[in-house]
Amino acid sequence: MPATLTATEPRPKTRRGGGDFVTVPPVRDGGWGGGPNDDRVVQRYKLATWIGMGGIVMFFAAMTSAMVVRQGLAGDWQPFSLPPVLYASTVVLLLSSFTVARARHEASSGDPAGLRRWVNISAILGLAFLAGQVLGWQALAVRGIYLASNPASSFYYVLTAGHGAHLLGGIVALGYIWARVRGRRPWPTREAALEAMALYWHFMDVLWIYILGLLLFWR
Amino acid sequence: MTEVQLSPEVAEFTEVHRHPEPKRFIWKYIFSVDHKIIGIQYLLLALVAVFVGMALSLLVRLRLVWPAESIPLLGWLFPVGAPDGVMTPEFYLAMLTMHGTMMVFMVLTTAPQGGFGNYFLPIQIGAADMAFPRLNMLSFWTTFVSFLLLMAAFFVEGGAPMSGWTGYPPLSAVPEATVQGVGQDLWIASIAVFCIASLLAALNFIVTTLDLRAEGLTMMRLPLTCWTWFVTAILALLAFGVLLAAGVLLLMDRNVGTSFFVPGGLVVSDKQIDHSGGSPILWQHLFWFFGHPEVYIAILPGMGVTSHVLSTFARKTVFGYKAMVYAILAIGLLGFVVWGHHMFVSGMSPMSAMVFSVLTMCIGVPSAIKTFNWIGTMWGGKIRFTSPMLYSIGFVSLFVSGGLSGIFLGQPTIDLFFHDTYFVVAHFHLIMGVAAIFGMFAGMTFWFPKMFAKRMDERLSKFHFWVTFTGVYAIFGPMHYLGMLPHPRRYAEITSVDYLGTTGAEGLHWFITIAAIVTILAQFVFLYNFIYSIFKGAACAEENPWEATTLEWAIPTPPPHDNFGGKVPHVYRGAYDFSLPGAKRDFAMQCNNDEAVYGAAKEASGD
Repeated sequence: MPATLTATEPRPKTRRGGGDFVTVPPVRDGGWGGGPNDDRVVQRYKLATWIGMGGIVMFFAAMTSAMVVRQGLAGDWQPFSLPPVLYASTVVLLLSSFTVARARHEASSGDPAGLRRWVNISAILGLAFLAGQVLGWQALAVRGIYLASNPASSFYYVLTAGHGAHLLGGIVALGYIWARVRGRRPWPTREAALEAMALYWHFMDVLWIYILGLLLFWR
Repeated sequence: MTEVQLSPEVAEFTEVHRHPEPKRFIWKYIFSVDHKIIGIQYLLLALVAVFVGMALSLLVRLRLVWPAESIPLLGWLFPVGAPDGVMTPEFYLAMLTMHGTMMVFMVLTTAPQGGFGNYFLPIQIGAADMAFPRLNMLSFWTTFVSFLLLMAAFFVEGGAPMSGWTGYPPLSAVPEATVQGVGQDLWIASIAVFCIASLLAALNFIVTTLDLRAEGLTMMRLPLTCWTWFVTAILALLAFGVLLAAGVLLLMDRNVGTSFFVPGGLVVSDKQIDHSGGSPILWQHLFWFFGHPEVYIAILPGMGVTSHVLSTFARKTVFGYKAMVYAILAIGLLGFVVWGHHMFVSGMSPMSAMVFSVLTMCIGVPSAIKTFNWIGTMWGGKIRFTSPMLYSIGFVSLFVSGGLSGIFLGQPTIDLFFHDTYFVVAHFHLIMGVAAIFGMFAGMTFWFPKMFAKRMDERLSKFHFWVTFTGVYAIFGPMHYLGMLPHPRRYAEITSVDYLGTTGAEGLHWFITIAAIVTILAQFVFLYNFIYSIFKGAACAEENPWEATTLEWAIPTPPPHDNFGGKVPHVYRGAYDFSLPGAKRDFAMQCNNDEAVYGAAKEASGD
């Protein structure tokens, strides 16, 4: 059969968002999924984040159902009041969502210093939130409420630690973005990474509000 | 970089860019981000695991018929589990547990999805790689760590765990319940790590399928293999998170003193266990919420390969392609709402049991659709009885045989009788174990020429098929009868059970063991064929030796580093255009446009 090779014109690389610090070389993409979809790398990262969120939701859904079932099982469930530091750390985490949004804004308006600053602040707020969680555990320990004390406390520790571990992933992502931006080298997936991180970070916020609500109202 | 000559079959393509091949061995073959290498890594891992798992099943069979005989080699290998070469009952349970775990996780979950899926999904959709190649590498190496953790359980004090692959507490949660130390902890850790690896891989598969398809390759033009890998990934994404949560809780029950699954007032070996109020049933719910979708994670890719191969070698389009797709989706969806049928004897209310039972019966509908469509695909076809075709037909047979017994087990009243008997062993081995493995055999023999540019020896493959096909029926067929006696499963000692004395159970066990030994020996024929053919097999440089239609057959053999050499073929048609009326050949590849299929004359005449 005769070969009918007709290469069509490569699509122009369209970039979403605002300006960029450096010119992105045309042939590099993030990873090499390849194909004409290279210009859709932002959507791809965001899609992956949404799907990853699905997996995380199932993890916490399983924990929730275990908690609800376990509470109804035996008389050993002993409710306790949440350590007050939790409310402060909740405010810190909510605040960090705004700083992450600000970092995105700085990126799209083409200000690398601003981006670095707000990524920094977000990471510090994230760490502060985690510190708040540790203080919360300490406050409970002082009251003699440990991981294995009773099922209510067990779920408290498991849920907060589970959320903390996932948030730590977000902080690592912030650190990665910070380091890459600092390097000032061409980084084609910068925008995608930033978008995915921001989405994930907001999700961590929502997840925390859910867990806090669960701990508050399902005692 | 050498220019990749794209196949003349490709009518049109879009030029993108090349991906340079890594030069150093370590980046090329060990920590590779190439989906093809990662696919082979998964396959090799599964190959090692399947032989370990098979050896364990042999020990199980030997113990059943030879409870008191000494096997000196075992005494040397396992001085504690088999002192003087005689297996202890505890050792039997440990081998049983490790056999199940090894096969379900390291073989049935890794090879069809991680192995073949990784290798062929990107090629079949016209992509250069998975959406996230580094994540892909991470998934494999995480799986590998999980495998090492599981293997380590053999070599710690107290030996491998014996709570079954389902890890039911309190046996798995209370160290005092068994003599074991860290074996069970390693098992839980291995499963937890495996969950993480599978979640990462699932994410990658889903994004790849949704986002990297070539131009013209709509979802309804996808090969059914891609559909099954896609739905399998969705199942894995939603199921493994739940198992991970359960594993974390179990690990804490065992080590930190929490009481999620361990009930209060439990006395083990005359000793009160210091736990309160937990529920072993809670574990069962969480485990089976994962466990049932896991069955489909194992079998769906096999269904995809079977549909693909049957169509190719019957030279007919898949009968009812859309119905097949909807059946795959229906099976995936229903798979999440039937977990209770594993727990009919757990004391659930008859109402719940009825709901789970009705939903379970519903799965029969899409399963029957698939079966009828497979037969419809073959019906009236010009069948080429190659070895992949035989394995696929074997898959259909085993799927039907294993599925029929599922209808019995799905009835709560009948299940009360059959639960924990050999009937269940027969059922799940046929459908989940052997059928899925026949799917892998089909995939391996079908894609081998593309992967290694060599041919496997057809005669050896066919010999292997017939011995294995007969062998598995000889092993698992009689187990249905054993189950009806009813012969309980998980018993290490069956020779001195009084009520089985006159039933002929012992003779059947001998028969099964001999059949198992023969079948196991036949697997070495396959192994020999596989390894020999890689190095010394007949060369096969043809692009498309089977005259198949999908994109993997439109690239050079073996596939170059970035598959299409920086070009993305355009897709014009569905995946199974065989024997089109008026076409020049009896197959039309997905990348063939109408001119290539029918010739210029047809186009000009305006047909």
